[in-house]
Amino acid sequence: MMATTIYVPCDTTARSLGADAVAARLTRAAERLGVDIQLKRNGSRGLFWLEPLVEVETATGRVAYGPVAPTDVDALVDAGLFEGRQEHDLALGDIEAHPYLARQQRLTFSRIGLTDPLSLEDYTARQGFAGLKQALALTPQGIVDEVKTSGLRGRGGAAFPTGIKWQTVHDTPAAQKYIVCNADEGDSGTFADRLVMECDPFMLIEGMTIAGLAVGATQGYIYLRSEYPLAQAMLDEAIVRAEAAGYLGDNILDSGHAFHLEVRLGAGAYICGEETSLLESLEGKRGLVRAKPPLPAIEGLFGQPTVVNNVLSLAAVPLFSTRAARPTPTTAWASPAAPWRCSWPATSPVAGWSSWPSAPPCAS
Amino acid sequence: MSHPTPQPADTALAAQLQAVIDQHAARPGAMLPLLHAIQAQHGYIPDAAVPMIAEALRHTRAEVHGIISFYHHFRTHPPGRHVIQVCRAEACQAVGARALEAHVKSALGVDYHETTADREFTLEPVYCLGNCACGPSLRVDDEIHGRMDAAGFDRLTAQLSATVVEVK
Amino acid sequence: MLQYFEPDASHAAQFARDLGTPARFSETQVALSIDGHSISVPEGTSVLRAAALAGITIPKLCASDNLEAFGSCRLCAVEIEGRRGLPASCTTPVTEGMAVITQNARLAKLRRNVMELYISDHPLDCLTCPANGDCELQDMAGAVGLREVRYGFDGANHLDAETDASNPYFSFDPSKCIVCSRCVRACNEVQGTFALTIEGRGFDSKVAAGQNEPFMDSECVSCGACVQACPTSTLMEKSVIEQGVPEHSVVTTCAYCGVGCSFEAQMKGDQLVRMVPYKGGDANHGHSCVKGRFAFGYATHKDRIKEPMIRDAIDQPWRAVSWEEAIGFAARRLREIQTQYGRESVGGITSSRCTNEETYLVQKLIRAAFGNNNTDTCARVCHSPTGYGLKTTLGESAGTQTFDSVMQADTILVIGANPTDAHPVFASQMKRRLRQGATLIVADPRRIDLLKTPHGGKSLHLPLKPGTNVALVNALAHVVVTEGLEDHDFIARRCEGDAYQQWRAFISEPRNAPEALEAETGVPAAKVREAARAYATAGNGAIYYGLGVTEHSQGSTMVMGIANLAMATGNIGREGVGVNPLRGQNNVQGSCDMGSFPHELPGYQHVADPAVREKFEAVWHTPLDDEPGLRIPNMFDAAIAGTFKALYVQGEDIAQSDPNPARGVGPARAGLPDRAGHLPQRDRQVRPRAAARRHLPREERHLHQRRAPHQPRAQGDAAGGRKGGLGGHPGPGQRPGLPDALHPSVRDHGRDRQPHADLHRGQLRQAGKTRQYPVAVQRRLPRRHADHALAGLPHRQGALRDH
Ligand SMILES: Cc1cc2nc3c(=O)[nH]c(=O)nc-3n(C[C@H](O)[C@H](O)[C@H](O)COP(=O)(O)O)c2cc1C
Ligand code: SF4
Ligand code: SF4
Ligand code: SF4
Ligand code: FES
Ligand code: FES
Repeated sequence: MMATTIYVPCDTTARSLGADAVAARLTRAAERLGVDIQLKRNGSRGLFWLEPLVEVETATGRVAYGPVAPTDVDALVDAGLFEGRQEHDLALGDIEAHPYLARQQRLTFSRIGLTDPLSLEDYTARQGFAGLKQALALTPQGIVDEVKTSGLRGRGGAAFPTGIKWQTVHDTPAAQKYIVCNADEGDSGTFADRLVMECDPFMLIEGMTIAGLAVGATQGYIYLRSEYPLAQAMLDEAIVRAEAAGYLGDNILDSGHAFHLEVRLGAGAYICGEETSLLESLEGKRGLVRAKPPLPAIEGLFGQPTVVNNVLSLAAVPLFSTRAARPTPTTAWASPAAPWRCSWPATSPVAGWSSWPSAPPCAS
Repeated sequence: MSHPTPQPADTALAAQLQAVIDQHAARPGAMLPLLHAIQAQHGYIPDAAVPMIAEALRHTRAEVHGIISFYHHFRTHPPGRHVIQVCRAEACQAVGARALEAHVKSALGVDYHETTADREFTLEPVYCLGNCACGPSLRVDDEIHGRMDAAGFDRLTAQLSATVVEVK
Repeated sequence: MLQYFEPDASHAAQFARDLGTPARFSETQVALSIDGHSISVPEGTSVLRAAALAGITIPKLCASDNLEAFGSCRLCAVEIEGRRGLPASCTTPVTEGMAVITQNARLAKLRRNVMELYISDHPLDCLTCPANGDCELQDMAGAVGLREVRYGFDGANHLDAETDASNPYFSFDPSKCIVCSRCVRACNEVQGTFALTIEGRGFDSKVAAGQNEPFMDSECVSCGACVQACPTSTLMEKSVIEQGVPEHSVVTTCAYCGVGCSFEAQMKGDQLVRMVPYKGGDANHGHSCVKGRFAFGYATHKDRIKEPMIRDAIDQPWRAVSWEEAIGFAARRLREIQTQYGRESVGGITSSRCTNEETYLVQKLIRAAFGNNNTDTCARVCHSPTGYGLKTTLGESAGTQTFDSVMQADTILVIGANPTDAHPVFASQMKRRLRQGATLIVADPRRIDLLKTPHGGKSLHLPLKPGTNVALVNALAHVVVTEGLEDHDFIARRCEGDAYQQWRAFISEPRNAPEALEAETGVPAAKVREAARAYATAGNGAIYYGLGVTEHSQGSTMVMGIANLAMATGNIGREGVGVNPLRGQNNVQGSCDMGSFPHELPGYQHVADPAVREKFEAVWHTPLDDEPGLRIPNMFDAAIAGTFKALYVQGEDIAQSDPNPARGVGPARAGLPDRAGHLPQRDRQVRPRAAARRHLPREERHLHQRRAPHQPRAQGDAAGGRKGGLGGHPGPGQRPGLPDALHPSVRDHGRDRQPHADLHRGQLRQAGKTRQYPVAVQRRLPRRHADHALAGLPHRQGALRDH
């Protein structure tokens, strides 16, 4: 008999609610019962009121249970969790059919919750690095044009057209240019960037690499807030794996192009989410806002032309070069009317601070 | 006028610091990675590190001091065995972070930036751990805990202290 | 009546105003309108500065035209047509066609609100504040019409912060601080010391010295730039706290060092209250060091001589007399001496701390009134090797650049100088250039502070052994010529072909290779090669050298070596390059230009040239002596010998600054003037000096003769003593004018070991020189000069024994 695949999310929130203990107890229960299971740590689907959300792979799809406290595990197992039986109170049935997910069209978040964030196999099995391959076939200007046509606007707050920003960096001659990812996500109530980094880090890596190809930058930095230790660990590991597999480094996929990536930690200063303070901080200074002009696109990190984009902006990039998945400019992310970063609902779509956009929290 | 670089009294400490400094000094924008590395090694940035960092990165002591004090993540005093950070940001406040904060302070008998007398815990504020959906949140060392309340906190600290006893 | 020099009023007015942000230089002019006035300014200029240039004042607190804009106070907000919000004018550059409004109700309200917030955390003790009447915060509160503070004064504030009075010259009272960062930026950008920071952030922000320690314990060098920058009384001169705000000022020049900073001496009546560096000063552009700014006690020091004094003999007390009597006395005694002992028996020394005009007049007095050429200057001591070496090689005895030129240098080679200590204000400028990324090479036994420039670019230290300057410069040149780094085009156009080839052949010899000289200089060959490449291949390579080169046994030779290196690499004749002596006093160049040397009339024109003399005779209406006069050491020799009887000394303390104080003071005691008076000759006092002479090393005694018997006529350290012969005449391969000749003489590696017979014609002078002069300097170095000695004088006795 083939091993049953069980999913227990590994993002910060699931873990903050005991997902690690749940996973450990599931393993112990399987050993106790002599059941062959494969425990996979996936990303979170974002249904946090249901976390830890345990899923079981069945012939008819993934069925879920949640919220599962460590103390619920034994009862769940006894009620046939390993077989995907749906008798227990916490059983949620086919998770894809859950009303909260059913009415969403997920693009940037299409893999999140489904895959093991650090599995290159999972990533490539779901369109991962297709965008990069597509981009390698284009000229830098070609990539910039694609991004322009997509209508992507910055997800960091100001909704500035990403393609135009890239064009400026592309057009500014310099021996060294940089791609900087703004992962300082400081506003309370926002954590979509965190989810991307913890649950689908390769997507961000791919987006940044494409940005590098587009503007001629060979070095990227992810400026990550120090309050996200798990995101740091995930990104660091993902970078190591991507490098080993040839997606990063001196010769990306044998293309002759180089792109290096490094995570740099912030240190507890909200203002460093503002892009010019962020650059100061990356340079090792006090994070004081710089006067603009000069624009970072012209004089950015270490005085060199620099793309500064939010995590979600960069993470969305791989989609644009894969024409099939390309959204129309009317898609939410291209809308200047809704430029603000999505917030996730609190425990349930109705609880807490429902004035924040709640449903669908993140079309992107 | 040239000022002699003040020498750290503790030469073992100096050697440790120098090793970390040498490891990071050549990186572009080395300051923050270096400070993080020192804090990872010692739990804080010893005063003695400041002139050494300044020398290695061609800064002055004043600048390094200004940088360290700008970033609230960096400590300048040794912390307790565990650092507990309570989220004070809006989303957590909306679901009871203030009550939790009050409980934590009285349970530990310390205010923010203080360390318990047994040097077990140092208490610090933090502004959002990205766990807003399931607040109140707090962080103990690198672990984040959600939906935290007074009882949960007491269980947590009991566990942490117990672990210490076990280790001993 | 005494008349002060006042720079012309429009010049002074130009610098009296703070235009808010630094000037920008651009070919492109940008036209805009401000409050309806059209104005055109260079691209990159801020709106704030453009407005100031148009005569429109925008309130400001955190901006100052010697600091890059910071944009923190928001008082300078303006409205710009077509733009959202109220941008800060200090950080907003002008754009073509921009229409700016600086005053309207909305702006007035914003500014009042900003001021209100500032004042809500500021003590309200203006009446008793030392800055009352000289406070920008006060001015701005007035300018924006602040009438009330709605927040009250009970909230959290900083009013109890403690004053730091550790610095002897200024105090720091943080309760008055508005955290505008001007002090921090001044320390960084203007002075380059980076002693200050803002500690913490937000409400907790405060100015801190070092690691939040008293100023005196920090890296602070007390230059006072922060004090000058502070818009409040937070950083305040103690002299102003004690004496009150000054009410008028006089522009003057600092006489402490070779930079020559201009100052406004700010006074209250005739009391000097503070010295504020003058923005219009070309040498300092409004900056100064601790000495010029704070060490002005001399102005009122009790030792200061305020009236003419005379005495007949050294054992008599000084008598204060009227100017008439003093002048009459001096003139009469000089005449008497000349009558009795001959025209040649008197002379004078001009001062490098005096103005061109003053120096010119003294040498004219000597040449035209005394009727001889016995004039010399204190530059004899510090930089006559420069004068001689540069004249010989470049054709002019002047350094080639202004200080500002360093801002265009790409590689800066500093030899035997320690600018942060000895030329602090220039060092600040140099450090600014180093922060912009220029490469620094220091050839000095000491690891000077310049090498530790915070945020400096690449730097290279060549810690040569004392006494091996020439070997090092030859090794550098060797790399240049053997690695193909010469500027052939420059050499072809500007250098003398034969001389150059001769020099090139010599310098290419393997014995000049850095490897061959490694043992001699102590500098690893690889470093020398790296330095030579960095200098030769930099777009602009500039050499700065000091007394470590000149007050040295191979001073002139080394200067020539430096000039040759510069010419071989084409690093001469434009901004950012050049051969730049760092002088000991503020007007060494001027005093030389003005004809202070015994062999040259003003403008380095030789006294032996009849055409030259004719020119001067026509103007001065008197015949002039055609023979070079006595140099300072000759004067003392002659005094000891009894033939030189009176000396007119302008602003110099020969007892302090001449190489052998015993030899200087001795003759003075022996009968030469001490300060402004004249002394009778007292033979008995000569005897001790003669005795002293016998204690000198044998090889130095010739210095006391007008011409050493074994020396050829043409020798002499620097351009010429009269009895030394032709010194200063254009030598072989030398024409007047700019870089002409590479002198083929830079051959000995710092110790003249070659017998004279080995030398080519034309090198004798240098050969003789290296044997002759500096040993004396070295041996008799007064203690205070020990630093300079470290810089380049041979310490090892071996070096002496070689002679
Ligand atoms: C005070 C302040 C805080 C900001 N914080 C963030 C942040 O946490 N994350 C972010 O992506 N952008 C933040 N921004 C916006 C950035 O300055 C910048 O616009 C953005 O990174 C550009 O990326 P985008 O074009 O992809 O949106 C902040 C801006 C300000 C003024
Ligand atoms: S006096 Fe000069 S060196 Fe000292 S803090 Fe002020 S600006 Fe810096
Ligand atoms: S001390 Fe003066 S210059 Fe410095 S921040 Fe305070 S007010 Fe500004
Ligand atoms: S640098 Fe020299 S001239 Fe300028 S203030 Fe200082 S001592 Fe005076
Ligand atoms: S507000 Fe507390 S975790 Fe975000
Ligand atoms: S003067 Fe422009 S912001 Fe302060």
